[in-house]
Amino acid sequence: MYHFLVIRRFYVHNFRCLENFELPISGQSSVLLIGKNGSGKTAVGLALQVLQKIARGTNRVSDLVKPEDFARGRANIPIRFEIEIELKGRLYGYAIALGWPKGRGELRVWEEEIRVGGELVYTREVGRVFPNIDFQLLALPIIQEESVSDPVFRLRRWLARMLILRPMPSLILGNSRQETLEPNAQVTDFGAWFSGLLAHAPSAYVEIDSYLKQVMPDLNDIKNPLVGRDSRNLEVQFSTDQGSVNLPFEDLSDGEKCFMICALVLAANHAYGPVFCFWDEPDNYLALSEVGHFVMALRKAFQDDGQFIATSHNSEVIRSFSDENTLVLYRDNHLEPTRVRALKDVKVNGDLVSALIRDDIEP
Amino acid sequence: MSVNKHLPHVYVLPEDGANRQLARGFQLDVDGAKQRQMQVLEEAGGWIAVLEHFLADHVARMASNAQRFMVLLIDFDNKQERLQEVKSKIPGHLTDRVFVLGTSSEPEALKTAGLGTYETIGKAMAEDCRQETSTIWGHELLRHNAGELARLRHQVRPILF
Repeated sequence: MYHFLVIRRFYVHNFRCLENFELPISGQSSVLLIGKNGSGKTAVGLALQVLQKIARGTNRVSDLVKPEDFARGRANIPIRFEIEIELKGRLYGYAIALGWPKGRGELRVWEEEIRVGGELVYTREVGRVFPNIDFQLLALPIIQEESVSDPVFRLRRWLARMLILRPMPSLILGNSRQETLEPNAQVTDFGAWFSGLLAHAPSAYVEIDSYLKQVMPDLNDIKNPLVGRDSRNLEVQFSTDQGSVNLPFEDLSDGEKCFMICALVLAANHAYGPVFCFWDEPDNYLALSEVGHFVMALRKAFQDDGQFIATSHNSEVIRSFSDENTLVLYRDNHLEPTRVRALKDVKVNGDLVSALIRDDIEP
Repeated sequence: MSVNKHLPHVYVLPEDGANRQLARGFQLDVDGAKQRQMQVLEEAGGWIAVLEHFLADHVARMASNAQRFMVLLIDFDNKQERLQEVKSKIPGHLTDRVFVLGTSSEPEALKTAGLGTYETIGKAMAEDCRQETSTIWGHELLRHNAGELARLRHQVRPILF
């Protein structure tokens, strides 16, 4: 089946432990990143988050990367991010190089380039004067688009709507004052995302409800009533033969909040997708018996559209993927860059999880 | 809550990582609303270990839960007698709910035969079950499963599709 959205190429250079790093995920609807602590899994998400932040409106370079983000302090070499995505058969590319001249002053744009269908639609590079924008600012967030069908608008919206998730359930309260389709990484704006999603596509509630009733059969309803002039607070109602109970969202368990997030991811992929979702350790907070189902639900939802990337150390997550869609990240020490290989190209003796426990994976 | 144990559900006990990946591919093709009725268990580490795990960990639980079905996913290593060898160890009161399936040699041969990755092969197996066809199950490395598959389709198909 043709896959309508995938990252065709994601390249990072000189950012943290990622040097001349290319993530081989082209053509994969779901991918698992595994590797030891410090191997660079989270850094991949942070690199994607830089592009997401740009598209969401942060355009001052010093608000996107810090001097300590230069790999091993090599400030004389620009940090590079390059992404190519395919949206409904059309290729979009965005590439930036961010530098710190002479290791002092403010970080600045070295190069910035937008391509659509292989053709350059915007470019700037150091040494050429652009009177309307200074070199501490990126142009992508402020380029005026002509319409919602403008390719620059589409690229920016897609990057902005990437879901890069590292949920912190204890900080998710379920209150909101506004609506969004662009939740933050900790999903502390869950209430705003819920409101935004249902305002964008009211039918999304059906999918949210359907998934949640599979994992919490006693769920009856999710309400999001006004509790002030312009603020809302999520409530979840459970009911059984014995009666019903209304719980404020914040009183749900950490794992139950993750089910809620998962439900919104699934619904978002249909409602305003196809989306890209990077979930750092989705197994966190889940019961062992739930982990496999949780991941498989996400994998299934993304297999026809969108793209899902997980990182994990959890054996159940690892067993939910295959040799072809599991990538092993590794580096010898903190002075070496991250390298990556598909598990299918790595020799594993016996059971994979046992080999990981024995530290016998030798890429 | 994992699988809903009050509803009919299927546990798959794979011999090794290759069989586990076949099962995961199968699960990816199961209807979304029924996906939780299938659970792929930890690989046992050899067909004898599958049998040992089954006898030690699952027989008693299956006896007390009539909604549970079990697929033992093993390699036949070109030994036709293995099916009967395994089935002879399954307690008589559970034979209707336990199915023994696998590649006639080992799953690597399915890849070598150009049928795709384990996941795509697993998906094709599920598609055959859904459509009641034998496109992939009719392959020479899998066709020996016909008897078990017929039982499986009769009992398990309504649970997952």
